[in-house]
Amino acid sequence: MPIITVEHLSKQFKVHERPAGFWRSLGGLFSRTHRIIQAVDDVNFTLERGELVGYIGANGAGKSTTIKMLTGILVPTSGKVNVMALTPHQDRREYTRRIGVVFGQRTQLWWDLPVIDSFELLKHIYEIPEHAYKQNLAFFSELLQLHRLLSVPVRKLSLGERMRCDLTAALLHNPEILYLDEPTIGLDVVAKEQVRQFLKQVNAERQVTVILTTHDLNDVEKICQRLIIIDTGRIIYDGGIDELKQRYGRTRMLIVDLARAYPEIQIESADVIRREGNRIWLAFDRDTISASEVITRLTAQYEIQDLTISEPEIEEIVRQIYQSGIVA
Amino acid sequence: MRKYLAFTAKAFQRTLTYRFELWVELFINVLFMLIYVYLWKALYTGKTTVEGYDLTRILTYIVVSQTLLSFHFTLRIARVIEEKVRTGEVVTDLMKPVDFQLMLLATGVGTSFHTVLFNMLPKLLLFYGGLSLSLPSSMLTVGFFIVSVMLGFVILFSIEFLIGILAFWVVEIRGIYFAVIWGISWFFSGYFLPLEHYPVLLAKIAEYLPFQAIIYSPTAIYVGRITGKAVVRVLRMQLFWTVALIGLGRLVYRAALRKLVIQGG
Repeated sequence: MPIITVEHLSKQFKVHERPAGFWRSLGGLFSRTHRIIQAVDDVNFTLERGELVGYIGANGAGKSTTIKMLTGILVPTSGKVNVMALTPHQDRREYTRRIGVVFGQRTQLWWDLPVIDSFELLKHIYEIPEHAYKQNLAFFSELLQLHRLLSVPVRKLSLGERMRCDLTAALLHNPEILYLDEPTIGLDVVAKEQVRQFLKQVNAERQVTVILTTHDLNDVEKICQRLIIIDTGRIIYDGGIDELKQRYGRTRMLIVDLARAYPEIQIESADVIRREGNRIWLAFDRDTISASEVITRLTAQYEIQDLTISEPEIEEIVRQIYQSGIVA
Repeated sequence: MRKYLAFTAKAFQRTLTYRFELWVELFINVLFMLIYVYLWKALYTGKTTVEGYDLTRILTYIVVSQTLLSFHFTLRIARVIEEKVRTGEVVTDLMKPVDFQLMLLATGVGTSFHTVLFNMLPKLLLFYGGLSLSLPSSMLTVGFFIVSVMLGFVILFSIEFLIGILAFWVVEIRGIYFAVIWGISWFFSGYFLPLEHYPVLLAKIAEYLPFQAIIYSPTAIYVGRITGKAVVRVLRMQLFWTVALIGLGRLVYRAALRKLVIQGG
């Protein structure tokens, strides 16, 4: 029996358009035009208890809208969401007791008070028994090295420190599911890694089902077994991470700064996909040609100043999925 | 219930962070109160009683009503809600098993309790020390006064709550906020002048509005302008407004929530 079942889930927003210009915007006071935006379009998936799933897509792909429907903040236009036999937006009170939510861009901690005060408030809000609270606090403090932070007012924490505290805040009441919306956004490399390892451990040791949205492929690559890719409201991939990498992750990107301007650039087995002044982006298939070979061919014909190789990004993989025409 | 007490306690604790601000506020309040005191003293030269107020009673009225006015400065629930909606923090509140309205009331009580201790009581003591003011006629009157203040407080909260909830529909509530709280409410709450001094028509209108229940009712009970059976009638009226406005607040909040969950933040 899946813990989360999503069937034919769709969400439309009505967006009012404000006409530009003084007279026309005045006219807008009397008659308003609107258009419909399809944020989520016939999404289907199920999650088993204990899964750790990455829900990824570019900005505006519909990730957050899906999470908001799963957490009960948004009502679907059509389709069904069933989580632990509850309908999130209808059974909100009961439902919120059993889930934890972290929104990367905002905090649920009280800005002016020391961190520990927010935790104590949560103890009362969720009516957590004293011993369970103490136990959890000790567990998370140890895992996330919070001891030094507990007495510090939230406004004085760095973004990474605050995220560690927010993660604890979302888990103190032993939720069965943890939703995270962009938990690593804005964090430095070390803090990102800490968050990832923590999520992995919480998922493994405490059997918390975790679903996280991100546009950073590195997040999911390291910790998720499964990933769902959404683009323009539709699921375009749902499956294992290794499979995806094998299928689409073969493309590497070479970013080259040329020493001077060349009217045209052509390299065998590599495509120039973008160009900005003297900087070009070269895409190549690592199974067809090696990076060193591309560089050799490049330097043979052109004078170059600098270059870097980058891993595929989510936008690139989405582009490839469309190109290859294989849509899940 | 305990969870809401926790909100009150944390809100009280939070206000302790801004001590300097509090002293500045107290100082400015006292200056304004002095202006009113001198104004009334000047107006009463050559007069003994106006509309049932002798000088001692009118000065007591001004000191008490000015003291109660401080709730207007500290509560600011409308602005709190506007901020929550604007920043999207309201979503975090929705993710908690708490009642939004009760949570805000509990928080407001915490913030205001601090104002009572560190702003209102000092002001009263200061002016009682410096002027000859009257005390309530009996302990019972003090009891009625306290109940009346509490009801007035919840009424002010409810009005602010209603204005704040409008932020779910309109981007800018500041205009409405100023018009209602710093305009209509001030005018009809009787903080500047006892309502008896108003022209008959305006006094009549004030009687049918909830604003007089915020400041005029408790103050008039305190100075003995409302006594006997009239006190019970006034308290009953306050109770009516409290229940009606809290109920209306819940209805409007439910509509706001429906809008939010359908159209998003």
